[in-house]
Amino acid sequence: MLDFWLSGFLSLFQPQALVFLLFGMAVGLFVGVLPGLGGTTALALLTPFTYGLEPVEALALAGGVMGGVPMGGAVTAILLNTPGQTANAVTCLDGYPLAQQGKAGLAIGAAASANAIGGIIGTISVLLVLPIATELVLAFGPPEFFLIAVLGLVLVATTSRGKTLRALVSGVAGLMIASIGYNDVTGGQRFTMGIEYLWDGVHLVPALVGLFAVAEMMHLSVKGGSIAKADGNVQITNIGAGLFETFRHWGTVLRGSLIGTFVGVVPGVGVTVASFLSYSLTVQASKDPESFGKGNIKGVIAPEAAINAKDCSALIPTLAFGLPGGAEMAVFMGILILHGMQPGPLMLQQNQLEIYSLIWALTASCILSSFVGLLFARPLARLTRVDTQLLAPVIIVLSLVGSYATDMVIENVVLSAVFGLIGYVMIKFDYPRITMVVALVLASLAERNYHQSMIMSDGGWSIYVSRIPSAIIVLCIVMSVASPFIRTFFSRRDLAATKTAGGS
Amino acid sequence: MVNFTRRDVLISSAAAAPLLACPPFAFAAAPAFPARNIQFIIPYAAGGGFDSFVRYVSPVMESYLPNRVSIVPINVTAASGNRGIGQLYRARPDGHTIGIFDIPGMFIQQAIQGNSAYDLAKFSWIGCMGEGERYLVGVGQNSPLKSFADLVALSRQRPVKFSVTGMEGTAAAACVIGTELLGIRRQLITGYKGSADFIVAAIRGDSDAVISATATMLRYAKGGHLRILASFETKTSIPGIPDATALGRPELNDISLERPVAAPPGTPPEIQNILSVALARAESDPKVVAWAKENDIIMRSKTPAETAALIARQRAFFERWRKYLIAA
Repeated sequence: MLDFWLSGFLSLFQPQALVFLLFGMAVGLFVGVLPGLGGTTALALLTPFTYGLEPVEALALAGGVMGGVPMGGAVTAILLNTPGQTANAVTCLDGYPLAQQGKAGLAIGAAASANAIGGIIGTISVLLVLPIATELVLAFGPPEFFLIAVLGLVLVATTSRGKTLRALVSGVAGLMIASIGYNDVTGGQRFTMGIEYLWDGVHLVPALVGLFAVAEMMHLSVKGGSIAKADGNVQITNIGAGLFETFRHWGTVLRGSLIGTFVGVVPGVGVTVASFLSYSLTVQASKDPESFGKGNIKGVIAPEAAINAKDCSALIPTLAFGLPGGAEMAVFMGILILHGMQPGPLMLQQNQLEIYSLIWALTASCILSSFVGLLFARPLARLTRVDTQLLAPVIIVLSLVGSYATDMVIENVVLSAVFGLIGYVMIKFDYPRITMVVALVLASLAERNYHQSMIMSDGGWSIYVSRIPSAIIVLCIVMSVASPFIRTFFSRRDLAATKTAGGS
Repeated sequence: MVNFTRRDVLISSAAAAPLLACPPFAFAAAPAFPARNIQFIIPYAAGGGFDSFVRYVSPVMESYLPNRVSIVPINVTAASGNRGIGQLYRARPDGHTIGIFDIPGMFIQQAIQGNSAYDLAKFSWIGCMGEGERYLVGVGQNSPLKSFADLVALSRQRPVKFSVTGMEGTAAAACVIGTELLGIRRQLITGYKGSADFIVAAIRGDSDAVISATATMLRYAKGGHLRILASFETKTSIPGIPDATALGRPELNDISLERPVAAPPGTPPEIQNILSVALARAESDPKVVAWAKENDIIMRSKTPAETAALIARQRAFFERWRKYLIAA
């Protein structure tokens, strides 16, 4: 195995492989920056070009793309409150407030280093886990998927301190919207209003483009001015400090990376869940949860570390079982098949060299794209000083083009516009949009796996606790629900204690 | 300002009409078809089986066309594939739009939504992407079921659980028809996303067993994760397991997964023929053959007439089982 490690690494140093790696990374960064467009689109665009390439070169290209996208996506999330790809929606929560405070450079710097370190930790965990990959993938079935979805929905409450009720309203609305479309379990269409476009449900990317990009630009245009408050004293390009921030919050980086790795191994749960879990658990673990959502740098580090770690580990179910964890991996699988590598149990035995060179390519691209991202951070951060009257039209056009490009159908643009209005109303009345996104992402996962679990167990509930992985997740859910109460209980007692102490 | 009367408009339109009717390359010596790039509609997402077939074969196929044009694969995924097929049905029948189908799954789709969107019988068929695949019955390597007899015995105690996709797909149809023919009581765990997904579900123990097409099943069997219990082929290609003949159900061999390719209804026969020949030659191209071998696929196309006959047979077979597939 060590042999393949090394030769995989060396295979990347052939000039051609390096060129394709860098090219892939550049495309990944660029596509990542565009609102809505992510790795799926970038890989789909490049698939025809890989046709004439050697397998290792094609993998270097794909690895470059997959490593570059998250960094690009983070930059857009921080600067414009618009996730470059779905997973970066969580990065907006604290990244954008930082940009508003004029600390865009700090946030981008932190995102870059979190990206690189997350990628490295992800790679190390994947290399460690690869020998037991099959057992690990097989340990998680419908009951666990369902419970992970429940955990995600429960954590919605913790990310929205102070407006829990609003978060729930927006979450339930998300669940309702997610029920539109074809019913995977029983067959048949639900709530499609006779529109053929809705048969596959509400498409996530155009909905997100509307909810964030369009809504944000509408809000900014109405408000006027620029994104960063005109406070000339704050240095917007304080990138060095941002880089350093990640190293100050080791615990957050490590937690995020491990969550990312874990979620990646579980097929079908998706990267958005990874970044969201990492963020909410960081909030829960924090001594100062109130500061999140207002520009806490840890709120940028946590999701970014998870996203990149997940990108690495998502390769495991894809390669070992041919189970793509998401749309991006599905397209990537297509590239593998084109090059005569059939993802599945045999691949781990037959294509070790290719697998290791891919993992190295992905890691190298993660690190390199962080550096390149930093180079551009300075000029990009100045976007936050641009007058929104100039910024908004450009961003809206770019977003709608991106929305169209994801599926090449005009209905996507209409959907983005509709969600733009919904998003604008939500901003106006202070309803959190992230909970709607989480609900949209998790609803079908929860529903499908709930039904499957119940058929598996012949209608018995014990299946959710009788399997060890499920029992652990149930415990996490219970702790997440209980922790705010416990926290309140202790803080009250402390308060009472200080009062008594003060009174005596 | 110039005021156009209705008469002016009519006269100028009449003058322009013959220009519109002119073929774009009327003066060129090359054959009229293909005049521009050909769009190849894939009704499923990028990365899936249908997608890889088209993406691998189309660059080779374009080299066998009389004129130098590109074949551009495009994924039109909405509405479980219906949108892509509907789009092809309504496309101009000049051979510049073709598409790949999932048969018999698309008969179910058509039955569910009625004939309003498209009618499979009317397409101009041009060939098949590979041979049709038969089905295998398998269980996870660690399953207590060691033979097909064990599976039958289990079915006497309780319904056997099978993991499948949604009810509208070819995979679910194969499972329903197969178990009906074999008299195995079944309970379907639906909602898996694709064949890899529901085969892994059986390996993991979500379901007791799984019925799926040969190539994919063999991949997991070779990897040591899946045990094959029976084959629906007339004569099994895997030694040591019962086949349709041994099971006393020769009709099992009629259950197949076909990937025919068609142009819109009403495409002229000569164009249909050019496309069909290019597809057939592409599939026997050494490059494609080598690729197919690596992926356990047998590449062989059919003539338009053979394909149309295949579709008619599949339709008749589907009609026989309709009540199980649509009611469920």
